[in-house]
Amino acid sequence: MKAVPWLFAFMATTAALAGTTRAVRPGVLIPPSAVDNNSSCDIGTYPAATLLLPYFEVETRKHVNDAGNTIFSVVNTSRQPQIARVTIWTDYGYPALWFNVFLTGYDVASLSLYDVIVNGVLPQTSSSAQAGARSRPNDANPNIVSVDECKSLGGPLPQTTIDSVVALLTAGTAEGECHYGGNHPMAVGYVTVDVVNSCSKASPLDPDYYAKTLLFDNVLSGDYERVMPDKAVGNYAGGNPFVHIRAIPEGGPAGSVSSGLPYTFYDRLTPKAARRIDRRQPLPSTFAARFIEGGTAAFHTEYTMWREAATSAAAGCGVAANANVPYASIVRFDEYENPTVGAGNRAFPVAASAATTSSAFPPRVGASVSGWMFLELDNRAGVSAASPYSVARPSQNWIVIKMQAEGRYGVEYDATAIGNGCTNPIPNGGAYK
Amino acid sequence: MKRIAIALLFVAATASAAVNRTIATANAASCDIGTYAAATLLLPYFEVEYDQPQSEALNTVFTVINTSNAPQIVRVTIWTDWGFPADYFSMYLTGYDAHTVSMYDILARMNFPATSSAMQVGSSSQSSNRNFYEEASNWCLHAGGPLTPERARRLQQMLTTGQRGDAGCRVGGTHAHAVGYVTIDVVNSCSGDSALSDEYWKEVILYDNVLTGDYERINPKATSGNYAGGNPLVHIRAVPEGGAAGTSVASLLPYTFYDRYTPRDARHLDRRQPLPAVFAARYINGGRDSFQTNFVVWREGVVDRETSECDYAKNAALALFTPMVVRFDEHENAVATTGCDENGCSYPVTGATSLISAASPLFPPATSGDVAGWIWMNLDNGAGTGKAGSPYSSRRPSQNWVIVQMYAEGRYAVDFDATSIANGCTAAPPTEP
Repeated sequence: MKAVPWLFAFMATTAALAGTTRAVRPGVLIPPSAVDNNSSCDIGTYPAATLLLPYFEVETRKHVNDAGNTIFSVVNTSRQPQIARVTIWTDYGYPALWFNVFLTGYDVASLSLYDVIVNGVLPQTSSSAQAGARSRPNDANPNIVSVDECKSLGGPLPQTTIDSVVALLTAGTAEGECHYGGNHPMAVGYVTVDVVNSCSKASPLDPDYYAKTLLFDNVLSGDYERVMPDKAVGNYAGGNPFVHIRAIPEGGPAGSVSSGLPYTFYDRLTPKAARRIDRRQPLPSTFAARFIEGGTAAFHTEYTMWREAATSAAAGCGVAANANVPYASIVRFDEYENPTVGAGNRAFPVAASAATTSSAFPPRVGASVSGWMFLELDNRAGVSAASPYSVARPSQNWIVIKMQAEGRYGVEYDATAIGNGCTNPIPNGGAYK
Repeated sequence: MKRIAIALLFVAATASAAVNRTIATANAASCDIGTYAAATLLLPYFEVEYDQPQSEALNTVFTVINTSNAPQIVRVTIWTDWGFPADYFSMYLTGYDAHTVSMYDILARMNFPATSSAMQVGSSSQSSNRNFYEEASNWCLHAGGPLTPERARRLQQMLTTGQRGDAGCRVGGTHAHAVGYVTIDVVNSCSGDSALSDEYWKEVILYDNVLTGDYERINPKATSGNYAGGNPLVHIRAVPEGGAAGTSVASLLPYTFYDRYTPRDARHLDRRQPLPAVFAARYINGGRDSFQTNFVVWREGVVDRETSECDYAKNAALALFTPMVVRFDEHENAVATTGCDENGCSYPVTGATSLISAASPLFPPATSGDVAGWIWMNLDNGAGTGKAGSPYSSRRPSQNWVIVQMYAEGRYAVDFDATSIANGCTAAPPTEP
């Protein structure tokens, strides 16, 4: 196996920080622990302040009955009303469309991305909707500053907006020569859902969105289903929870409290004077992901990946650089632990899906059709001179494994994170050791 | 294994409504369950039609990966749906090994997976593990392999009829398929000690968070099935991790996953994170696509390891909830079931693992025309009274896990974890939404 720099960095970091842990028994490291809710850097399926759909595909050119589609639901697990800001990003990490959804206490909203992107129909919600018997009134959330613009949300979009969104998500183009996303037959990108304090129209690229609009209540839950109904190429579905990203600590009005986290999920987009103001847990950089390729059941595995963009909010046309966000290393282990490393293109876009047989991954050697990969996806932007990140650190990532077999089976589940997002092997000064 | 020990402890600054608490950013330092490499993996529910040809048989397969370069030994225990350890076997995993286990192979073909400490290790793998028992290599030369017909028959019987030895006592429920759950622990040898013995906890079980895994549930029947669902296994970490078997260290965990099995003089000895009690689970039943939702519900039993076989029937009658379950439809209409009236309280019951339709009368009825919504469930079985005779070491809610299974159109299926409302260390989780 080719040496993995992360391992060396980890060893150096462990030695450097030995004073912060207690070894009370041989071989047992006791780091400072916290058993409270909303007090760790670990990502789990707990109510959260931001939900991430790491990757979606919508076949915009097909009839809805045959079109590959992604649907998702957002649940407000609290009795208070909440406002959820939904942002659809291109696969280069550029916001193509954003809208608000008003959720009464305990509300659930389901969205079809085909409806949104192809039909231009946003979910219709209102702060005037009747709240349920167990729910608090629609004006009872003290952190919501205004519901004035929430009385009539959603509904049909103008055709010009629909055309623009489809162009951004399929060709990456808008007005001008810039490329904000890749060119692909399907609409491709990712989605974030934030809890916010108003039906503000502020762009997620505007630092004020994080300083004045974003809230910190861990109340949202959600899941998505990816449906491929075309029997010729699909005939299966996969589903998974969203990535549930909690605010640490939680609670309070917009703009309050910086986080105890070393950096945050929205790091590259937050105001320069308050880089951790979103308080969102950061995502990890290193994963273990299983694959099966071939065999009697004709297995096929893809990894769908969300990668943190390597550009800042002010990048403008520079967002095109996110077409090729590099990664550090990938090692493939087959069932006999034969390790291989690749020599192909060591980059993916911000939101990507790739078959494990592709040249982007190390080749499989031997007869074994299955195994797993160790993926160290740090894009190294965190140690570059033009780093968009607030500290020298690994970039954030997420991987979902998609497996299909026999043209009728499909499963989808998260890869295993090897460390949490607060794991920073770049101590003091920004150079990997 | 000494994993990342970048242990920085932050105390968040306070502000108005934000909650002030210690924040742990280190790995393996919280009570939050997530898909991180772990010391125990839980498959909460399996079904196998071992008496059908494989091409038609309902089956559950799971994979275990050793993410470390050192060899590991895992103890796989097959439990009945009343929480009785029906059988167990060891698997020897070389460094970076991945092993897939088909429950059909075990029950129909009567083969435990065959592994050996004499297997050639991969070029990146180490040949030894310092936490192994000194005789581990000898004991694991021939791990697994064929079951005797008598042992296989007994296992089949326990998982389908609950019959074991004494005809008057049962250790599992009666059902058409083999049903139960599986745990996978990292251990120091291919010891034959049962999980019901002191020795297993004091001399065998280890604390290295090195395992990851997933399961796939396959229904190949073209007429009544034709789908698959998959999900990560529940990854339960040792907190803190590392050290030799029997190493007792101070842990912040107030109780542990294996609480009721641990020695009476060392109740936290397993160090495994406890599971939560309160969940939010989405459902869709009906609609144009004939959706159907089932919940896999894993419950902590109430009989401890010193109980006679005949007492396992108590695990067939676990109160499904003690305070309440509430169904919310898409319009936040709330229907609660408390089990209580003027005559007192009487709760529906389940076994230690079961598959329950979201339309089951065990849950509150849907009273509107909405076909979808979510269910808030506090699944505490009420046994953690903290009094003498309680199977648990302290006053606490019981542990549970919920997986949402959705089906549609006779060809789609997805599995995903329900959302935990609070982590397993929460001694007093919410009793109502």
